[in-house]
Amino acid sequence: MTEPGFLDIISFGADGWGPALAAGAWMTILIAIAGFAIGGLIGTFGAWAKISGGPVVRGCAEAYTTVLRGIPDLLVIYLFYFGGSAVVTAIGQLYGAEGFVSFPGFIAGALAVGITSGAQQTEVYRGAFRAVHPGELEAATACGMGRFLKFRRITVPLTLRHALPGLGNVWQVVLKESALVSVTGVVELLRQAQIGAGSTSRPFDFFFIAAMIYLAISTVSGLILQVTERRFSRGVRRG
Amino acid sequence: MDIKFALETFWSLAAALPLTLQLATTSIALGSVLALGLALARLSGILALDLFARTYVFLFRGTPLLVQIFLIYYGLSQFPAVRHSIFWPLLREPYWCAVLALMLNTAAYASEIIRGGLLSVPHGQVEAARACGMGRLMIFRRIVMPQALRQALPGYGNEMISMVKATALASIITLMEITGVAAKLISESYRVIEVFVVAGVIYLAINFALTRLVAFAEHRLNPQLRPPLPISTELKGETH
Amino acid sequence: MNMSAAVTAPVAIRVHDLHKSFGPVEVLKGVSLDAREGEVISILGSSGSGKSTLLRCINMLEVPNSGTIEVAGEAIRLKTSGDGRSRPADQKQVDRIRSELGMVFQSFNLWSHKTVLENVIEAPVHVLKRPRAEAIEEAEALLAKVGIADKRNHYPSHLSGGQQQRAAIARALAMRPKAMLFDEPTSALDPELVGEVLRVMRGLAEEGRTMLVVTHEMGFARDVSSRVVFVHKGTIEEEGPPHEVFTRSKSERFRQFIKS
Repeated sequence: MTEPGFLDIISFGADGWGPALAAGAWMTILIAIAGFAIGGLIGTFGAWAKISGGPVVRGCAEAYTTVLRGIPDLLVIYLFYFGGSAVVTAIGQLYGAEGFVSFPGFIAGALAVGITSGAQQTEVYRGAFRAVHPGELEAATACGMGRFLKFRRITVPLTLRHALPGLGNVWQVVLKESALVSVTGVVELLRQAQIGAGSTSRPFDFFFIAAMIYLAISTVSGLILQVTERRFSRGVRRG
Repeated sequence: MDIKFALETFWSLAAALPLTLQLATTSIALGSVLALGLALARLSGILALDLFARTYVFLFRGTPLLVQIFLIYYGLSQFPAVRHSIFWPLLREPYWCAVLALMLNTAAYASEIIRGGLLSVPHGQVEAARACGMGRLMIFRRIVMPQALRQALPGYGNEMISMVKATALASIITLMEITGVAAKLISESYRVIEVFVVAGVIYLAINFALTRLVAFAEHRLNPQLRPPLPISTELKGETH
Repeated sequence: MNMSAAVTAPVAIRVHDLHKSFGPVEVLKGVSLDAREGEVISILGSSGSGKSTLLRCINMLEVPNSGTIEVAGEAIRLKTSGDGRSRPADQKQVDRIRSELGMVFQSFNLWSHKTVLENVIEAPVHVLKRPRAEAIEEAEALLAKVGIADKRNHYPSHLSGGQQQRAAIARALAMRPKAMLFDEPTSALDPELVGEVLRVMRGLAEEGRTMLVVTHEMGFARDVSSRVVFVHKGTIEEEGPPHEVFTRSKSERFRQFIKS
């Protein structure tokens, strides 16, 4: 392949970069979804710890959110990527493998994004739980609902309604943060654009197209979130 | 944990601290000017300016900062016009590319914070100033801006912390600030945890100091939230 | 009130054939009004009658579509801009005339980032360029006069509504205004705080200040003002000395209005 024009970069033809970029975009979405889901688990746990944990558990949750709010996401990605590789290498040596074994970038990236977004989601869920009227939870207990039933049927749906706008913001942050995972070598959207930029002399075109794809993903997912929010917040009065 | 190694790491990372701080302060300072301009454009009531500012904010908030950095650092060199322009000596430097990207990025977020601050000033207070015969500029300078600043300060504090964290991305375009040095140390020593902890502590310390600074500024700027002064306090010593 | 003086005294504010529309709604449909020096004019009317708009046109917080406004014999020059809207021809003139009129708002509008004293001296120092020391001295006297000298270093958020409004009156007085405009000064106050503000306003009336007061306080209109103007649907429906209009008004609407 020699010098592609701008249209070749986006084309899905024989010489086009279209399929590669589309695959990269798909990988970006997968990383973001995985990171967001991991963050959701951590966030639920973190919010529970902050709301109803004892002093030690609450202190740990508090420390976790404070630390993650204060250090760069990139550093966390390095921690998981290099840290994971160190662990894998050590295990490898145990079984006789030689040299450096690299940890899968996708897992490292998803974990790192998950840990950072978990701190944000902790705050979102906690704030949302605060917004739930305590009387509604009391009413569930008064109906004779057990702890788990109450949590599943009443607490979670009520909290989620209040959490949706905040979760939308976290999702947008996660999506943009997934670009950092490119440093681990995972061929997501930005890494693919870098590859294209490196093998042609049109770096601007590639990064510009990557930027537009990010914009499209965030706009479309933003619209989807808006619709979801409207469906789930029936009966919530907007001040 | 190996204390000796941790100390060595600390000194190596501390040497990179000035670059991190320099990147953060330069881009925050330049970005705040641009942010004010964008906020005023949004509120100007002039359609073209409003549309421009809206588009700007949409583009810069909707795309990853790293893409913006790459666009500027790698992307701009694609154009011969840029390579032959008087800005090339600056745009060739990773430092100035990082500053430019960080500044353009923070301006988008900060402009929304400033806009919120400006909108928070009750219109009645502006009318009262008009009724006293104050001109537009004086009203902005003496009535609107001081109050908008106060309102915007907590949000702006958060944005500044985000910027300190964002300077880490400069390491990807070869700048050896704290994260850059940390990555180098990790790949040389494979002692991930130690380096991570030391680097993390340094970032936490910067952001803790920044938080205290913002809280102090908030306290200074919000005398109306403090209890009233005793009547014996004379105004003579007060300077404006 | 010295009625004969009011008839012969020079005109402080002259409003002639004022028209003002907000979009398709015509709020003022040709209002004319002369306020002579020393007169206290109460402007009455139900909400939406245009009485506040009339007051706000006098210092150009609303720009009238047509008509003239003169303050101390000087007409405010207007021009029509490209989009057909009316605008002041000379903003400097408007700013100067505004500084000669004191305005008191329904919602006080004290600057919340400044103490009471700073609120009072702000415009004298920065608009009128008076020496700061002199402005402080005068401000303290004014604050004593409205009865809140002890609150001078407080911020507005620490004051009651009545105290805030008295501070706002002091702020307006600090401009040494040729006339004062009051836009429903007691409407936002709790009932028990209305009295303290009305007392201050009565004191100003007795000093012989020129005052235009948009109000719902019938007692003030009847006992303090020298003239009552009743605005209805953008025109002046009834006008005259309070003892006349309150006892034998020709206007059925006005009789209805004071009954309710």
